[in-house]
Amino acid sequence: MATSLPSRRRFLTGAGAAGLSAMLSGCVTSVRSGGGTAGGAVTLQSNLSSPQAKSALQTVVDAFNSRGGSRVSLNTIASETFRTQLPTYLTSANPPDLYTWYPGSVADAYAKRDLLLDLDDLWKGPDLSRYSAALKRLCSTRSGTKVFVPTTYYWWAFFYRKSQFEKWGVSPPETWDEFLDLCDKLKGKKVEPIGMGAGGNTAWISSSWFDYLNIRINGPQYHRDLLAGRHRFDDPEVRRVFDRWDEARPFLDSKSTALPFQDATTELLQGRTGMMLIGTFFADAVPKGGLDDIDFFRFPAIDPEVPMAEEAPTDGYFASARSRRTRQTKELLGYLATAEAQELYLKGSSGTALPTHPDAKDSGTALVKKGRALIEGADEVTQFFNRDSSDELAPTADTALIRYLAEPEKIGSILTTWQRDAEKIWGK
Amino acid sequence: MRTTTPPAPTTQATQATQATNSRALHRRRAATVGFHAGAGLLSVLWLIPIALVLVTAVRSFDDIAANGLGALPHSFTLDGFSQAWTDGGQQRALVNSLLVTVPTVLLSLLLASMAAFALSRYDLPGRRTLLLVMLGGNLLPPQILLIPVSKMAELFALHDTLWALIGVQVGFGIGFFVFVLHGFMRAIPAEVQQAAVIDGAGPAQIYWRIVLPLSRPALAALGALSFTWIFNDLLWAITVLRTETRMPITASLLGLQGQYVSQWNVIAAGSVIAAAPTVLVFLRFQRHFVAGLNLGAVK
Repeated sequence: MATSLPSRRRFLTGAGAAGLSAMLSGCVTSVRSGGGTAGGAVTLQSNLSSPQAKSALQTVVDAFNSRGGSRVSLNTIASETFRTQLPTYLTSANPPDLYTWYPGSVADAYAKRDLLLDLDDLWKGPDLSRYSAALKRLCSTRSGTKVFVPTTYYWWAFFYRKSQFEKWGVSPPETWDEFLDLCDKLKGKKVEPIGMGAGGNTAWISSSWFDYLNIRINGPQYHRDLLAGRHRFDDPEVRRVFDRWDEARPFLDSKSTALPFQDATTELLQGRTGMMLIGTFFADAVPKGGLDDIDFFRFPAIDPEVPMAEEAPTDGYFASARSRRTRQTKELLGYLATAEAQELYLKGSSGTALPTHPDAKDSGTALVKKGRALIEGADEVTQFFNRDSSDELAPTADTALIRYLAEPEKIGSILTTWQRDAEKIWGK
Repeated sequence: MRTTTPPAPTTQATQATQATNSRALHRRRAATVGFHAGAGLLSVLWLIPIALVLVTAVRSFDDIAANGLGALPHSFTLDGFSQAWTDGGQQRALVNSLLVTVPTVLLSLLLASMAAFALSRYDLPGRRTLLLVMLGGNLLPPQILLIPVSKMAELFALHDTLWALIGVQVGFGIGFFVFVLHGFMRAIPAEVQQAAVIDGAGPAQIYWRIVLPLSRPALAALGALSFTWIFNDLLWAITVLRTETRMPITASLLGLQGQYVSQWNVIAAGSVIAAAPTVLVFLRFQRHFVAGLNLGAVK
């Protein structure tokens, strides 16, 4: 098309392109917002796609439907799809009513964009008003509105096999020095002391080490402030985290960044690694009966001055502000907050999660009892890196930490890069 | 190899030729052996992942959890298949996939062949622009259209229906199909069409009774290719659909993965189920697949 003639063909092309772009931009802006009331079943959009969790939630949904009030239909979406599509669901004109997700800063980010249903009145109800103060704070936005209903939580710790520890003649440590000593002993017995599982697509596991070291060295408040952008990743405080990590690094499994955590779990169960810092969800990857031999100890104290906080990520539900069935949705949320519903769910699931309702019974195994005592005795509770910050900041941590594990001597430049990446996200 | 010694020149010559012959033979044999060994090794490398999936599919979850994914199997069970089929909802998902794929393939071939017929057999104004736009649309990465497509589906009240998915797939496939079919139909001799015109056939008759039958190889190749593309698509499905019961097989395969822990045996079994229809289509249309590769390459 090298001719300079103002041909009809060119005109048509231009007109077509203009029309198309006008149409597309029209689409983006002209989607109406919903709201108001409508009948029909509440849609519960769930990311609990693993068969066990899915059927456990289905039992709860069936129990709610059999009460004869409002009805709910469970809609399970692959967790990976759910994570990427959640913003689309929430901003669509006719969104699903209720979603499984996380409280804290993640929910706060959606609430800031007026996408979440205000649940203040629900929290005055008989069940939620008795929830712990920490949970109340966790489920409120920064402006103080409640937008979340928590149902379960789990805990992180160093998990190990009791029989293996007996065989090696070692016992769980209390302090950092004892911990390093334990690692040294295991190393002497030709065992990889610490498994990690930050390989494959579970690089996020490495954040647990950063979280815990930061909480133990600089304290939970500093940790939360850092993740919220009120401190810098290239500060000397953060550098101290990596100085401590350097002490433990020689004891990390050589396959730490090669194996995904599920395979790292297998290594632990086979006695090839001594212990593993992991959340209780790993129990789903343990064959039947294998859990009886599992025990844990809390992340050892480093600075006795710092309050002992623990990581206990909380799960639950929030509702769309554009839901057309707000009354029914709140009725369902009210039910999910009861001890009865939470016990029903835990009975069906793998049973290592803990209920948020103060009266709800957990699965009652020794492991779960010990876990509950750990969290209830903790000075403070944090969530996890991605939940205390945002879904955008979490990948920067993965990149920085995996790079640190590969090239620890370059920590200075790694932290500078991390800070720069984080500023792009905080700056938004 | 000159023979300078008079006695028994022939024997020596024969020996020499024999030696050369056997050396050449050796070399040829070695080359053949090397070729087969190399090619065999490559195909083994190629088949290992598939074999691993098949082996994993028939192991039990406890076996995988206790011994690791890479270990030799200690168990044999078909539970993975039944779990994926019923609990994992693959049965319904397979039906959804076929409900989307078959109409999409037929509809896009019909529309594309009509467009290609008009563009290649008639001197329409702006046909070059149209073809270039269609080609340009193919160069556009689909990712940048995710949000417009999702919003448009909502605007037309089609979101979360299989119709939306069919519409999107037809829309995206058609540009490429028209381009390929246009190239193919242009090669049909003009005399065939002229003869039909003399016999009194209108454009519709020429399209239906002359050009379409002559384009059968191209249609079959495109049909087979597009079947696999649409059947294996995940991106558009999760963009326009949000209800579990309407998801196609690819999305439901993803759903077999848990939030934290994945049951690899069920996922492997699910993958085998999800791959079956495309493998069947491939075996049935194998010839056309190969033909499809150089379709439109030679004008």
